Amino acid sequence: MNWFNRLSAAKRTLIVIAAAVVVVIAAVSGWMVLGPGPMDFAGGRRVALADYHEADPTGVPPELERASLVQRGEYLERAADCRSCHTAVGGTPFAGGRAFTISIGTLYSANITPDKETGIGAWSDAAFLGAIHKGIDDEGTPLYPAMPSASFTGMTDADALAIKAYLFSLKPVHNEVPQNSLGFPFNQRWLVGVSSFFFNPDRRFEPNADRSAQWNRGAYLAENLAHCGECHTPRNLAFALDNRKKFSGEFQAGWRAYNITADKESGVGAWSAAELAQYLSTGHADGRGTAAGPMGDAVDNSLKYLTPGDIAAIVSYLQTVPAIASTDLPATKASPAPASHREGVVADGNPHGKQIFEGACASCHGWTGVGPLTRYATLTGARAVNDPTATNVAQIVLNGMARDTPHGKVFMPAFGNAYSDTEVAAVANYVTARFGAQPSGITAKQVAKLRQEN
Amino acid sequence: MIKLQINGQVREVDVVEDTPLLWVLRDVLGLTGTKFGCGIAQCGACTVHVDGKAVRSCLLAVGAIGNRAVTTIEAVGQTPAGARVQKAWLDLEVVQCGYCQSGQIMSAAALLAATPHPDDSDIDAAMAGNICRCGTYVRIRAAIKKAAGERQA
Repeated sequence: MNWFNRLSAAKRTLIVIAAAVVVVIAAVSGWMVLGPGPMDFAGGRRVALADYHEADPTGVPPELERASLVQRGEYLERAADCRSCHTAVGGTPFAGGRAFTISIGTLYSANITPDKETGIGAWSDAAFLGAIHKGIDDEGTPLYPAMPSASFTGMTDADALAIKAYLFSLKPVHNEVPQNSLGFPFNQRWLVGVSSFFFNPDRRFEPNADRSAQWNRGAYLAENLAHCGECHTPRNLAFALDNRKKFSGEFQAGWRAYNITADKESGVGAWSAAELAQYLSTGHADGRGTAAGPMGDAVDNSLKYLTPGDIAAIVSYLQTVPAIASTDLPATKASPAPASHREGVVADGNPHGKQIFEGACASCHGWTGVGPLTRYATLTGARAVNDPTATNVAQIVLNGMARDTPHGKVFMPAFGNAYSDTEVAAVANYVTARFGAQPSGITAKQVAKLRQEN
Repeated sequence: MIKLQINGQVREVDVVEDTPLLWVLRDVLGLTGTKFGCGIAQCGACTVHVDGKAVRSCLLAVGAIGNRAVTTIEAVGQTPAGARVQKAWLDLEVVQCGYCQSGQIMSAAALLAATPHPDDSDIDAAMAGNICRCGTYVRIRAAIKKAAGERQA
């Protein structure tokens, strides 16, 4: 250390600071990179698929064993839900161009119809597997992690290629999607490659030999096809999933994907298996609310097409995910509000929320919160109205919702163009105070931001 | 076939379960007093009573009604509150173009049946979802108070 002592005091300080910075960066990076995988919480022995002797957790369910390759691919595409993201609002399914406005810019989903020029019609099997497993396009360029390759990487080659066969059976659509608009440094795609190197293990599904075949089927569906964690698991500084906080909820594209761990108060630990199955397969569970926004899309485009056996498998897997509490989310209030407008909580003395509610909302939601027209409009017990950030309540007021349910189409009109940010905030705060466990305090400024993010 | 209790009679209609009650009333049963306004439960023109409560028939699926009693504008005059409301409506000549008025009367009758002496906030809470593009709101409020037997404010 003689050389060090010979330096001036200022230089020595600089070197010490630089060394400390390097150590901190290395520690933070190491902490992120060495994080657990999505199924590691369960412990047990992981084996290669070929060495697993129970029923094969991959592929299609027994009902489709004799189905054609394209039919299998269609089922697996439903399970992986390619179309929710690869379809623009009002656009042709799979033709891409859906905009994702996130904090760092706007991304557009790709055209994955078999059009040779603007879609993936010229892609080889190897190129398709590269996109699914490694998150790279046919020229080897890394795809932004909006493409959930870190989840899809567990998909078997056979399942991925069945999906490709299904996509290639569709009509090609010529649709050039807009260029992504991301600011520096996020427009540097090679950085995505660096991130993938650390956070995409590029390994196929490895069953847990100490768990049942049903659990493993659920794990394969939830992790490698349905990619639940992409919305419900928080991300780390490198935008990769932080499985130390697996399924504990995250804010994503302007909506809040809630805690779906076994935590009884803030997660779904108090839900019965039947309630979870009903919610996943229909987007509604009595007393638990109705799916809207991105989860509504996930149900209507994907989960409702899964067989009861596959839904039961996802439920059995989900119920084993360890509880993590979201400290800002109270247990949901199960009892309806009073029938009289006079009784019940009055939100922050602001009369505008009630004024808007009685004119625009009470017809369908009632003063009690139990929908007089359809169960899908019942607010009682819904997580969104028991969320003190009121994020999803404000989003539903702004954008409405449209769902295709077993009881027919249900919808709520969008009020975003009818009400100002101040009014949307007022009615959202009234709704959480009247029907939820805790009043919210969303501001007009926050509503303005939600309008941009959706 | 779906069985419905409408204005005291059992009616059988051959429609799918998710058909809105309003369509059945107007197109199947010919009860055209109930009006179609917006179709999204935002205007109140289609209001009827289900077990005495005011509901928007445009978004109520007939399959969800079951044995509950449906009352429409054609029969609301047979209820005490409905009769008082209709008389007050005529006395004060509330109606202008009239399109929304079936819904206004149904909402007002349900209000008075549940809250015989409503104050302004009760009227707001019950009637704010019934829109009148002619702007007869002032006379609507006065007629509700008259029907409730109060002095007009």
